Amino acid sequence: MSRMPSPLRALPALVLPAVLAVGCGVQPSGVVDAADAPTGVAPGPTLYFVDADGALRPEVRETGRLGTIPEALTLLLIGPGPGSGDVHTEIRETEVTRVEVTTTDSSIALRMPLTVDDVTPAGIDQVVCTALGVHVQGGGSTRTTVRIEFVQLTPESDVDRTCPLIG
Amino acid sequence: MASLLLIEDDPLVRRGLELALTRHGHQVRTAGTGEDGLRQLAAAPPDLVILDLMLPGIDGFEVCRRVRATGEVPVIMLTARGDDFDVVAGLEAGADDYVVKPARPSVLDARVRAVLRRTAGETEGIRVHGDLRIDTGALTVSVRGEPVALTPTELRLLLTISRAPNRVFGRQQLLEEVWEHGYLGDSRLVDNCVQRLRTKIETDPAAPEHVQTVRGFGYRFGPL
Amino acid sequence: MTRWSWSRGLRARLLAAFALVTMAGAGAAAWSGAGSARAALVEAHEHQVTTSFADQVRAVAPTLSYPPDQATLDRLRTALGAGTVVTYGSARSAAGPGPDLVSAELRGAVREGDRLVTQRVLDAGTPWLVIGTPVVLTAPDGTRTPSGVEVYTVRDLTVVQEQVDRLARSALATAAFALPLAIVLALLAARTVLRPVRDLRDTARRLAAGDLGARTPPRGVDELAQLTVTINEMAQAVQTSMTAMHGMQSDARRFVADVSHELRTPLSTLTAVMEVLADTSADMEPDARESAELAITETRRLVRLVEDLMEVSRFDAGSAPLRLEQTDVPRAVRDSLAARGWLDEVDLVTGEDVGALVDPRRLDVVVANLVANALRHGAPPVLVEVSATDAEVTVEVTDHGPGLPPEVLPHVFDRFFKADAARVRTPGSGLGLAIARENARLHGGDLTADDVAGGGARFVLRLPRGTARRDLERS
Repeated sequence: MSRMPSPLRALPALVLPAVLAVGCGVQPSGVVDAADAPTGVAPGPTLYFVDADGALRPEVRETGRLGTIPEALTLLLIGPGPGSGDVHTEIRETEVTRVEVTTTDSSIALRMPLTVDDVTPAGIDQVVCTALGVHVQGGGSTRTTVRIEFVQLTPESDVDRTCPLIG
Repeated sequence: MASLLLIEDDPLVRRGLELALTRHGHQVRTAGTGEDGLRQLAAAPPDLVILDLMLPGIDGFEVCRRVRATGEVPVIMLTARGDDFDVVAGLEAGADDYVVKPARPSVLDARVRAVLRRTAGETEGIRVHGDLRIDTGALTVSVRGEPVALTPTELRLLLTISRAPNRVFGRQQLLEEVWEHGYLGDSRLVDNCVQRLRTKIETDPAAPEHVQTVRGFGYRFGPL
Repeated sequence: MTRWSWSRGLRARLLAAFALVTMAGAGAAAWSGAGSARAALVEAHEHQVTTSFADQVRAVAPTLSYPPDQATLDRLRTALGAGTVVTYGSARSAAGPGPDLVSAELRGAVREGDRLVTQRVLDAGTPWLVIGTPVVLTAPDGTRTPSGVEVYTVRDLTVVQEQVDRLARSALATAAFALPLAIVLALLAARTVLRPVRDLRDTARRLAAGDLGARTPPRGVDELAQLTVTINEMAQAVQTSMTAMHGMQSDARRFVADVSHELRTPLSTLTAVMEVLADTSADMEPDARESAELAITETRRLVRLVEDLMEVSRFDAGSAPLRLEQTDVPRAVRDSLAARGWLDEVDLVTGEDVGALVDPRRLDVVVANLVANALRHGAPPVLVEVSATDAEVTVEVTDHGPGLPPEVLPHVFDRFFKADAARVRTPGSGLGLAIARENARLHGGDLTADDVAGGGARFVLRLPRGTARRDLERS
């Protein structure tokens, strides 16, 4: 039989494109939107103090970089600097300024070197807003809750808090 | 001239041939069946029997065999044209010659005369070959002193080939001399007659001494 | 066409169709499977790379001084690995292949938006993922503003490429594995289809060869079985009509034979008494004598006709005997002419003694018929020429009459054919040439007719000489 039957002749024509399509692996693409842009740069962390009217006031402490939550809280515990105008802190001064931070997806746990008596409710807001501010500026969610664990056992340690100025 | 017995079953054919043969000078008796024919043959033997092979009752072949068994009365049979079986079977049953139907009386008459002609030309006396003795004058043959009864045809065949011992006779030549057949005679007549002759004069018919076969040509008379 | 190539053709086509369907199916499955797998693979890999990159940036960013100086940009670039470019306004930190691969389109999307974007590019056959993103400033309340820092990096996708290639190869291998399976299945299917077809073909062939009893038992209820039933019915119909025709034919032949046979008995009587009538007609009155002569002539013709009819019947029945004898053909022809007194009217040209194994009676019939025909219908001189080769002997009978008209030529050997319709009272039976040809064919030879160039009909008898010299001794 010298002549190839027509189905046989058609075989390469059918198979080749399939092989080519499968074999040609990764193709170039256009520009694709993939995710939110990363964030985290800042001239410095934002600290929260209380003004004369008793309201929370944010104040950027220009350290040149955002830094971490413990660093920001340490700065908060140190208190408003000399150039901070008429704001004050409602957190009692302490010798120890080291703060331990544990961050999960939905919450931030702060182990503070304070008792519940060392802070007023406004002082608690100062701590919460400062920690949450750094978290958000570093790319975290504004819906994250903050728990403050005091040195002494107290029901206040188990409260999930939010910042009245954020979220 | 000769007394003939015509055995033919169809009455009109029988009567027609009787009329014609009578005009040729023969004395013709007729029979409608084989049985009747054989009865007439026994009562008064004719010189020759003309036999239709298609007969009611005992058929022509059987009649021929019985005629042969009772004596040396020659038989001419009437056969259908081209019916080889009839011819072969008839010759084996002992017929001397055959005529194809419808038979013309003149042809039939010529065959009758040929068969009945006993002599073969010159009669110079007695030929002796071994234990075979042929008296060409008295037309008798004997083997080792015993007389042998031959039909006219057999006798003429023997006389013809013994006339010139060692000479080869072709079948066509023998047909012309013995049977007085013209062109296109049936050579089976010769072969059949040779067979019958051998059984009568040869010591061993399977290894013939007197009537020898020359393959491809014919026959010759011996012994050499 | 041989039986083998026939079945091979159909089988090959079935096989090809099966293989094609299987390959197409397997190929389509492999293609679509491999395609979606590839997309998923690439996407997953890109997602991983992108996420990892974003996490890296996010991890480093809080430690960077802002607004950044060149050292800060370098630090960020180093942290993000090779192929990274970091820009801030006109400041720039770069190393590796990155700058070549970042398209203007991507750069524009990064500059205009606040989203991380990617683009796959091919560079010299190597696939790369280009990632570009601005680093944004986020206010504590979540407000995002561009920081002016842009980061571009490239990630090698060769690993994915290799995975995709492996996938394609295994898909192809799977499809290829299906091929022998498909061929085996196709062979099995072809057998079930081809066997009944082959049976049908054998049956049809036997039918064509004349075996009208050939049938194929139908199996199943499919189209082939219906075809088989139809063919069987057709064969049955043909067989029935053929049987009827044969019956009619043999009835007709038997009738002719019977009639001829029955005519022979009265003809025997007539033949016997005609001679008596002829002998006595000389003494009759003139009109009675003429009547007697007419009766005699016509009786002879009748005899001849009946004999020819019976001869034809014997040929038809296949019972015509052939008695071959070593014959000198020129002499036999001469004797045949001499026996009829034709030597004076015919020019006989023969060579030397030409021996052949023929039936002399039948040769005589042929020669007599041909010469009689030439003398009757042609014009003198009639030429009879005998010649021979090693294999055959030829007898040519040529006359110098008008020849055979073209419309007559195909029919000269037909029974009872008369060239001149008006000349009905010819002495022949009308069977002479037919019988002559039957006789020639009985010998394995033939008899043909044509016209010679100068006019006149020519009949050529060819008989094989017969190689073996038949033994003339029949005892």
